[in-house]
Amino acid sequence: MNRKRTLIPETFTAKKWKSGSDNVGVQANDGPFDIKAALESLMSLFNRKLFNDTLPRIVLQHQLYSLHGDRTSVDRQLNELREKGEVLVFQMGFDAEAVGVVFTEDYREKVLAGEAGRATLGAVEKFLNNVLPSCPDMSFNKDQMLQQFFFTDAEITQLVKCGVLTVKDAGSWWLAIPNSGRFTKHFIQGRKAVLGMIKKSRYNEILMSDLERRQTTSQVKFQMKYHIHDIIGAEMVNRISTTSGVLLRFVES
Amino acid sequence: MLGFLFARQTGLDDPLRLKRAESTRRVLCMELNQDRDVERIHGNGINTIDIEVIEGRYMLSGGADGVIVIYDLENHSRKPQYTCKSVCTVGRSSRHVHKFSVETVQWYPHDTGMFVSSSFDKTMKVWDTETLKPAEIFRFEGNIYCHQMSPIAKKHSLIAVGTKDPKVQLCDLKSGSCIQVLQGHRGEILSVRWSPRHEYILATASADSSVRLWDVRRATGSLFALDQHNGDRSKASFANMAHNGRVNGLCFTADGLFLLSAGTDDRMRLWKAASGENTLVNYGKVANETRKGLKFAVSQGCSPEFAFVPCGSSVAVYALHTGELVTMLRGHYNNVDCCEFHPDYQELYSGGKDCNILAWVPTPRKPDVEDEGQRSTTAESESTLNPAFEDAWSSSDEDG
Repeated sequence: MNRKRTLIPETFTAKKWKSGSDNVGVQANDGPFDIKAALESLMSLFNRKLFNDTLPRIVLQHQLYSLHGDRTSVDRQLNELREKGEVLVFQMGFDAEAVGVVFTEDYREKVLAGEAGRATLGAVEKFLNNVLPSCPDMSFNKDQMLQQFFFTDAEITQLVKCGVLTVKDAGSWWLAIPNSGRFTKHFIQGRKAVLGMIKKSRYNEILMSDLERRQTTSQVKFQMKYHIHDIIGAEMVNRISTTSGVLLRFVES
Repeated sequence: MLGFLFARQTGLDDPLRLKRAESTRRVLCMELNQDRDVERIHGNGINTIDIEVIEGRYMLSGGADGVIVIYDLENHSRKPQYTCKSVCTVGRSSRHVHKFSVETVQWYPHDTGMFVSSSFDKTMKVWDTETLKPAEIFRFEGNIYCHQMSPIAKKHSLIAVGTKDPKVQLCDLKSGSCIQVLQGHRGEILSVRWSPRHEYILATASADSSVRLWDVRRATGSLFALDQHNGDRSKASFANMAHNGRVNGLCFTADGLFLLSAGTDDRMRLWKAASGENTLVNYGKVANETRKGLKFAVSQGCSPEFAFVPCGSSVAVYALHTGELVTMLRGHYNNVDCCEFHPDYQELYSGGKDCNILAWVPTPRKPDVEDEGQRSTTAESESTLNPAFEDAWSSSDEDG
């Protein structure tokens, strides 16, 4: 019996949340975190029609942090889903830390639909069927592609041309979403606009309910909630619980 | 609490369990206490604090003006209200005082007769506590960011020094000279730490974003460099980087099994010290803007362990293995530069640019309020009852 491993009972730890307001008030910290439900709810905020349905639904990893306080367990569960092959993870490129999450079936569907009728369909199908199930990494090496998966140079060029791979440096490639440039552009524009709204408010803070009700400018193409989860998860704003609701305060850096 | 005491008494539980539970409870209720104060001697910011390991009684502090002060932390006054007085000072008037800011001070690990201080005036001085004169002065080529002597070393008395030079210098106290140089880093060394588990293992953090582990007995280079992606080639970029920016803080846990590193990419990472593997604990954004080394502390003897990291003008307390922010200790008026944990009393001392050292003390327990029924039966309880709560009126009709 290993008694040293047992945690101290809840009743014994006094005064856990001392300065409870800033940065510590989190939603739904109790109970196991259902990552699939969280991903589904975030995906529902993604505006498909904006891209004419050519892109799979993309969610950023740090948006999950705003739904559940324990980042380490969110990371672990996401890794498990990735190992199982249910989600794919991409380096988004606009930020060193921004990592995008996509459901695998969604991705497959959209990529194949985009490639239908083109000459590169063969190479893409081979890639999706052989590489993705066995190797859920974010990037690939030349040796890996040639030796492990038996791709030819010509096939790799085709994959880069249709957007499934993007060049990282000589001999290695990032896994990518075709036509994701438009997503990145609209996303960054929207994020800037939302942050601008908060910065213009008095004292650089705004109630979350107020922000959700504000009329979005033409710059903001995604739903307000999508951007709010993003800025909270990326720690660009502090979430403070007040008597009138949740307050978002801009973080000077 | 009573359950823990009973279990220990009857032998159901290991005594360590009660100690650990009580230490954790005390750390979780740390706050500024009006009864405890540290005398204000420094006229300029405080860069470093060290509490001696043997008794936990004396504290050294080094300031931005080169002044070094020794405080007595013990309370012999029999009153709860206590100010930690300074025992002696190496002030600006001393002939041997450092010319520029003192970056690191450390007591000699085996007794308080000696301490070592290093400063931006490119010297490291070994002081005799009795006479407050340096017994030895080591001179270097560049600013010295940090130094440390191994707390457990029996077979060697090496001081590891991190300077602006990418080479880590090892100075020997016995011979009084720099006997070894560890090559491998490509930028200035911002933090050095000896492992509290193995006396020959040293960890160094550098501005070239890498953290290296060395065995000083080895003639060839470092054992390994820590890689934040754990060798996952899909995310790695060109070299093994522990952080995406300069690494400026290192701290081993008390058992030496884990190493915590902090970098200017605003992240803190927890590594397994034996294998160099990143445990991938996510602490979120840990604001870090210091150009020099960041001095933070890890608790000892609690479960779960806590990391105390200076963040701006407050000290952030993180649970070490889950990464959650437990609380922010606010009280300083300006940036906090260093903090040190006193393991015996579960107190935290933090010093900063506002020239104050604040003592964060666990809140004392409130005395229990006894029941009405019990009060009437026991005779002693009436004498301890506060006169303000005593009934002042009598029940007899005659006395009005």
